[in-house]
Amino acid sequence: MALRDTAIVGFHECKNVEKSERDIWELGAEILDHLLTGTGFEKQEIDGLVLSAAMTGSANPFWSQTTADQLGLELDFCQTVDIGGSSPLGALARASAAIDAGLCTTAMLLFADTQAAENNSRMRSFNGEWTAPYGLLGPPGAFGLLSKRYEHLYGLDYRMLGKLAVAQRGHALLNPNAVEKLRQPITIDDYINSRMISEPIRLLDSVMVCDGASGLLVTSRTRAKQKQIAKTVVPIGYGERTNFRMSESVVDVTQSGHLAAGKKAFAEAGLAAKDICSFHPYDDFIIAMMIQMEMLGFCKPGQGCAFIKEHDFTHTGDLPLNTSGGQISAGQPGLAGGGVNLVEAVRQLMGAGGARQVKRTDNALVTGIGGIPYGRNWATSTAMILTPGS
Amino acid sequence: MSETVHDTTDVVREPPMPRSFSRAYWEGTRQKKLVLQFDRKSGKYQFFPRPNSIFNGHRDLEWREVSGLGEIFTYTIGRRGPPNFRGKEPYLIATVTLDVGVNIIANIVHCGLDKIAIGMKVKPYWQPLANGTHLLMFEPA
Repeated sequence: MALRDTAIVGFHECKNVEKSERDIWELGAEILDHLLTGTGFEKQEIDGLVLSAAMTGSANPFWSQTTADQLGLELDFCQTVDIGGSSPLGALARASAAIDAGLCTTAMLLFADTQAAENNSRMRSFNGEWTAPYGLLGPPGAFGLLSKRYEHLYGLDYRMLGKLAVAQRGHALLNPNAVEKLRQPITIDDYINSRMISEPIRLLDSVMVCDGASGLLVTSRTRAKQKQIAKTVVPIGYGERTNFRMSESVVDVTQSGHLAAGKKAFAEAGLAAKDICSFHPYDDFIIAMMIQMEMLGFCKPGQGCAFIKEHDFTHTGDLPLNTSGGQISAGQPGLAGGGVNLVEAVRQLMGAGGARQVKRTDNALVTGIGGIPYGRNWATSTAMILTPGS
Repeated sequence: MSETVHDTTDVVREPPMPRSFSRAYWEGTRQKKLVLQFDRKSGKYQFFPRPNSIFNGHRDLEWREVSGLGEIFTYTIGRRGPPNFRGKEPYLIATVTLDVGVNIIANIVHCGLDKIAIGMKVKPYWQPLANGTHLLMFEPA
């Protein structure tokens, strides 16, 4: 099995900032430097580079090549993954497959974006013809439509969404890498009273775009053993679905591709939702986490609020959730945002969680969401289960 | 009294640039006709216009005029619009399920915040654009 033969041997994360004064390649260089120092690998041993797409890089169709050149890497495998917020997790799956297929032996995974300082994207999508004329604000608009439909089908206790927002904010207070502006405590009332953006989506439902970078060093388990790496993290199950229920003209926006991706990831790992020790769901909006709880089998569709009410999502609770604050409270470094929760899961499984270390580290579940399609919830759904290496 | 909702009919909108495969839709709007892609093999409509069928991948699509009658599937209230909508908040955007089985996103006009509801019946409202085409919106039926 390809996935299980992979070992994550190192991680690093730059501090998230509102607007970076450092160039995106300088952030990449900081990641590379720390990955080498932290693992004892030589630069010449890295023969693969897998990037998540970046708004900053989107004016350059040679992005992975150019970045490899800037970082001084000579490679056998070099590519960018462009499935939006799902890209970092997708990059890990693709690096694992590439190592298994013999395309490379050790890969640097780099998730960097400086969208706030330098956004070079020019979207070519359905937007210009079919949503922009109506003043629909991309992500908040889509999640406003989703939330209202959920409310209609099942009822929606917004205070339970507020409970998730408060738990994540508490984690950001313990995370020195979180954007400083967000490191202020909030209450459920603050959440409820925050101003509406695309009603019923509030300000405190939403991520704030920032600049930042994170990365992983990935190799085969065999090689990690040869190198006598003390702490590794191994992916044991992965699922990915793009355009869930594409061949239907009217789709239930309260259901996502995580239904399919989660089933595959859990089957491969031989685990179920009840076995998960910490949960690191992609959080562009608070309600996205509740939908994922339902789709991944933590509870049934429509039971999200009841499930949230019964559980403690703080790092000392029974289901620790996005223990670095998630993107909503640590900041979303553009398209590299999926790296925030992924790197935190790796950090926790390596026992490097510091003040926010979780107790149970048998496994962690990380997910991704990418892209806002027309009349649906999101384009790509991913789920990956990680365990500490033996 | 209910909060006033903006119809956005005075928002300055650049006429969208059609693609090679969506031109027929926009041409239809010149006469306030709603024409949708119909896949004959599957007997289903699709929206938005695409270069092939979302049902089977083939290009055996024809354009058919439909009534545009439908009901609200879900909606959101724009409280913070993009630059050309600034100052026009709040305004309504809904996903409408047409009787022919497609979902279309559009502004809802002539409808108060106290009246809008999922399941509400709607009909097309055509907003003129500078190039002679029209933008599809909906109003209570």
